[in-house]
Amino acid sequence: MIQAENALLPARMINEYVYCPRLFYYEHVEGIFVHNLETIEGSHVHTRVDGKEDDLPPAAELLETDRPANRRSITLSSEQYGIIAKLDLLETDGSLVTPVDYKRGEPCKAEDGSIEAWPADRAQLTVQVLILRDNGYVCEEAIVYYARTKQRVRFTIDEQLVAETLQQIDAARRLANATEIPPPLEDSPKCPRCSLVGVCLPEETRRMSNVRSISRQQMILFEVEPNRTANLSNQPGDEDVRRLVPSRDDLKPLYLNQPGLYVGCSRKVLQVKDKKKIVQQVRLNEVCQVNLFGSIQVTTQAIQAICTEEIPIAYFSMGGWFYGVTHGLGVKNIYLRREQFRWADVPSFCLRIARALVAGKIKNQRTMLQRNHIEPPKVALVHLKCMQEDAETAFSQESLLGIEGNAARVYFQNLQGMIKVNDPEDSPTDSGADDLFTFEFNSRNRRPPKDPINALLSLAYSILAKDLTIISQTVGFDPFLGFYHQPRYGRAPLALDLMEPFRPLIADSAVLSAINTKMIRPEHFIRAGNAVALTPDGRKAFFRAYEQRMDTLVTHPLFGYRVNYRRILEIQCRLLARVLTGETTNYPVFVTR
Amino acid sequence: MRNTYLVCYDICDDKRLRKVFKTMRDFGDHLQYSIFECQFTPVDLAKCRHELNEIIHHYEDQVLFVDLGPVEGRGDRVISALGKAYTSLDASCIIV
Repeated sequence: MIQAENALLPARMINEYVYCPRLFYYEHVEGIFVHNLETIEGSHVHTRVDGKEDDLPPAAELLETDRPANRRSITLSSEQYGIIAKLDLLETDGSLVTPVDYKRGEPCKAEDGSIEAWPADRAQLTVQVLILRDNGYVCEEAIVYYARTKQRVRFTIDEQLVAETLQQIDAARRLANATEIPPPLEDSPKCPRCSLVGVCLPEETRRMSNVRSISRQQMILFEVEPNRTANLSNQPGDEDVRRLVPSRDDLKPLYLNQPGLYVGCSRKVLQVKDKKKIVQQVRLNEVCQVNLFGSIQVTTQAIQAICTEEIPIAYFSMGGWFYGVTHGLGVKNIYLRREQFRWADVPSFCLRIARALVAGKIKNQRTMLQRNHIEPPKVALVHLKCMQEDAETAFSQESLLGIEGNAARVYFQNLQGMIKVNDPEDSPTDSGADDLFTFEFNSRNRRPPKDPINALLSLAYSILAKDLTIISQTVGFDPFLGFYHQPRYGRAPLALDLMEPFRPLIADSAVLSAINTKMIRPEHFIRAGNAVALTPDGRKAFFRAYEQRMDTLVTHPLFGYRVNYRRILEIQCRLLARVLTGETTNYPVFVTR
Repeated sequence: MRNTYLVCYDICDDKRLRKVFKTMRDFGDHLQYSIFECQFTPVDLAKCRHELNEIIHHYEDQVLFVDLGPVEGRGDRVISALGKAYTSLDASCIIV
């Protein structure tokens, strides 16, 4: 592919490059940007300087005798260096100009207690000075203004600084044209407050690349790499990694499940109306997804507001069939999808991923039986153990399908033992009506489900598929191309792939706990023909049970930290992306310990 | 992690008052006249402070941010009411 060779590099990106090359790659090459407290505060610091753009007279018109003046928000570029910069503030005094850059934080404390500018800021200002000089201005010094402490740090641009910066520009440009992402920083204090830490997953990626194959190490493009891997191989591999991502993300899903609701929008608040009366107001900054069941109207204004906030809208039929998702623009690059399409055509790779997924699913099914069965069936456990081993060495996708089917049969035969509410003293004896439901499970059936538990399982799988479709899109995958499930399935095959290990852990577990804790009771079901469906109240109760499960903190088997299932889904999805882009070789399927 | 905040304001001009009220509706629940109860992440708090900062008159108006602690734990137990009941709702999802 032809890169735009003469595209100008923004000076701001040189700052990012000096901070962390990987951050530069994400922001400049992949175009991924995430806001956190630091970036939000940073943009607030700039509201005044970005207020209006001043004109800067050409260098020749600045006279020695001119009085000092300030000019804000000036964009200048230099063809010679191939860079462009937006100067926050330019102070002119006669013909001498000095750029000032606004930063939200505080200056760097030197060893002797004096304050100085951070290296990344120094590089960015040096770039600005280079551009100014290239445009004919006289410029000796630069200033960084740190808003937190309200201090200005002035420094002289000497030849050594210019030489260093030119090298950095060069390295950044080489990286911008490279195809491989630099490795994450090692145990760096920069990571915890970096806005992209949830995307970059520095510690997790480092842990995973410990098992990187030799051949890959030789292909590495970056000078720092050989030392790094040498250091890594000495490290003990089994200590827990730092948890840099928060264990919960503080956002809630919104479920709308009454037919006839009408969703409007006032500023950043969704107004849910029933017969023109507002029944609930929901602030967009507290919502991570909007789920609509059945005929619910959403105004275009509301859709625009939801998409602007990058919140997905998922559509279901009243019965829970998952139709699709409306998304904002999402990931604005194609890199991950391109790798996904390439690898999906490699049968050996697909088989490797499929084996891991199916084996993981069977292991998790076995764990479920062990943990929750009233009397764990020894024979079934042994069977499942064997099938897990078979799945790990299966020679084709077809045989995997067979193994998976057998395992599912054994597992569902024993599912009844995990339901603990069918005791005779629990159920009311006086009702006598024959349409009263009991929680008895014989076999899995669907389209339509014929008993309450199958109805719950179907709904649970449907909303789990929704969650993984949304997450895989957020990460940059195309959910409609999978490695194990083939495209003909009609639903998102990648989401179905990714959800395999989580079916028992999230969906089945949510169903069982909903029943066992009596969140869902027999009166929550209705029969229609030979199908069994949930009543609106039943569905509400089940959403609550499902989201409780999603919000449960769980220890990641590989990294040893505790995060909720919603986070785990995203982390697993990003780890699969790492395998596709070649950063790591093995996909660690999520299994509980 | 979210913290519960009470945001109380005293605005001397009707036009600015309405602007502040409308802005606050994006961030929290209207508890009483000039008092909102908000559950802020650090990012939300920064955004809210910034938006109000752009509206208010810095010599005449005042906005107070009272931090009542983490939502889970102290935040939902420090408020008690006389008269009309006070309820705080917290769930892992919103269902209508």
